[in-house]
Amino acid sequence: MPISQAFFQRSNALLLAIGIAVLVIIVATSLWLTTASERYFGEVTAARAVRSATADLLSLVQDAETGQRGYLLTRDESYLAPYSAAASRVPDQRLRLEHAAARLPEVTPILQRVNSELEQKMGELAATVEATRRGDIETALNLVRSGTGKRLMDELRTDLSAILAVSEKELREAIDAQVTASTRLRWTTIIGAILILAMAGAASWTIISYTRELVAARREVETLNVGLEERVRERTDALVKANEEVQRFAYIVTHDLRAPLVNIMGFTSELEAMFKPIEAYVGAGAAATPEQKAAAEEALRVDVAEAIGFIRSSTRKMDGLINAILKISREGRRELRAESVDLTALIETAAAAVHHQASAEEGGGIEIDAQVPRITSDRLSLDQVMGNLLDNAIKYRATARPIRIAVRTRRERRGWVKIEIEDNGRGIAATDHERIFELFRRSGTQNTAGEGIGLAHVRTMVRNLGGDIAVRSELGKGTTFTVTLPPDLTAYRRSAEA
Amino acid sequence: MTNGKPVSIIMIEDDEGHARLIEKNIRRAGVSNEIIPFTNGTDALNYLFGTDGSGAVSAGRQLLILLDLNLPDMGGVAILEKVKANAHTKRSPVVVLTTTDDSREIQRCYDLGANVYITKPVDYDGFANAIRQLGLFFSVIQVPETP
Repeated sequence: MPISQAFFQRSNALLLAIGIAVLVIIVATSLWLTTASERYFGEVTAARAVRSATADLLSLVQDAETGQRGYLLTRDESYLAPYSAAASRVPDQRLRLEHAAARLPEVTPILQRVNSELEQKMGELAATVEATRRGDIETALNLVRSGTGKRLMDELRTDLSAILAVSEKELREAIDAQVTASTRLRWTTIIGAILILAMAGAASWTIISYTRELVAARREVETLNVGLEERVRERTDALVKANEEVQRFAYIVTHDLRAPLVNIMGFTSELEAMFKPIEAYVGAGAAATPEQKAAAEEALRVDVAEAIGFIRSSTRKMDGLINAILKISREGRRELRAESVDLTALIETAAAAVHHQASAEEGGGIEIDAQVPRITSDRLSLDQVMGNLLDNAIKYRATARPIRIAVRTRRERRGWVKIEIEDNGRGIAATDHERIFELFRRSGTQNTAGEGIGLAHVRTMVRNLGGDIAVRSELGKGTTFTVTLPPDLTAYRRSAEA
Repeated sequence: MTNGKPVSIIMIEDDEGHARLIEKNIRRAGVSNEIIPFTNGTDALNYLFGTDGSGAVSAGRQLLILLDLNLPDMGGVAILEKVKANAHTKRSPVVVLTTTDDSREIQRCYDLGANVYITKPVDYDGFANAIRQLGLFFSVIQVPETP
């Protein structure tokens, strides 16, 4: 999937935003969970404080009772020390418990009961100790025997146990909550980490793909550049060739037109000279010698006829040359009509036109191996090119063997079409490979009629179609003409105009 | 050209009118040697080198070659090259007589061993004059017998 720059920027911004959001969520959750954890820790500490204050209070009351019992039994003041110490610390301890338990509302009613029980208990203990001090043992013992102290003590124990139980429960809950909070914190961190990694992965993937596409695009641009240079080179080559061709053409035309002109002028001058003996004979009249008569007759019958014959043939030749030049010039100016042409059918038609000549002998024939079905080009030009090349193949056959012609069409690089016409004819000497394409030039034994126009005409047409023609030949073995054409004449013309 | 064997002038010229005019003007210069005309390179090469192409047929001949460069079937330069490369014909004088006045072509012909290079004048007086002078030249030069 190609990544556009806009998509790349949008997706990267989106990924960045998601990443930041995830990070913020993780930080917030962590903060919240840490605060919760702190709160649970405070609760744990508070529950522990309640527990220890409760246990201490119970222990103090028990100490006070132990001291009171010892004093009652021995009436020795020294046994009263634990009682006094405990009794003095009880109010503080009670405040500590109240303070610690302030956060536990369910403890408050129990604590109120504990307060009154504590008051009564300490009151009862103080009363027995006071009575003993006064020496009124009996009253003190009666007070003990009444069981009020024991009952109060039992109640105190029960209530403090209840507070302990509540604080234990609080403690457990706080610890559980803390464990839950830290578990949540762990999972939040893990999930957040995974999400951030995923975002980073996605961002990296986009960046890598985008970079890869940039590199590919740059490579393509470089390839196009190279192609451009190649096209410029091709076009320059074509221009150089066309220029050389124009020069050759001008040279050939002037040279070939000049040759008959020299004849005409020459034989005109000769003609003038020929009239001299005739004039002499006529001027002499009846006095003419037999020699004068013979010379005049000779000039009139032989020389004049010859001169006029040459003048006539030279003018005919000039006319022929001018017509040929006009034909080629007209061909160069003809408006080409680009259309989709069935190349295979076109070649088959051209081959059918000369088939009877090719297969007149045993073993002769035309073979077609077409691999390019269609081409967009000028049909008339293609017809003439194929017709000319096939005609030549038959015209310049080797007399020793039956003619065999092979026509092949192939697809070349950049879609160009290559048409090869191979024959087993008499071949063309290497020195004449360029000459044969020149106007009025022919190669080899002149045993067939021809003006030396066909191949020059073919080359002009092929070049007009944006292609070129080349020859490969060995004297006595055969000849292969290779025509290369652009696949689409319209595209070629566009790029040629550009 | 009157030493022992008669010298044959081989005229390779595709234009029959030119050939006739050249012959007329050479005769006017008083040259009466045999002129053998060829209108194409193939026939001329067959005469010079025989059907086997060895050139043995030219052994013992005394030849002077008048050569046009623009022939219908092959370049005159190719004929010049062959004549100067063959042991039997290389000493025969070759006079290039053509309409080409391209300096590179002239250099090339002398490089290949042409003895004289003459550009055919366009006007007939010049042409006739040049050929007559060439005829006078023919009448004085020595032509070696081919080995």
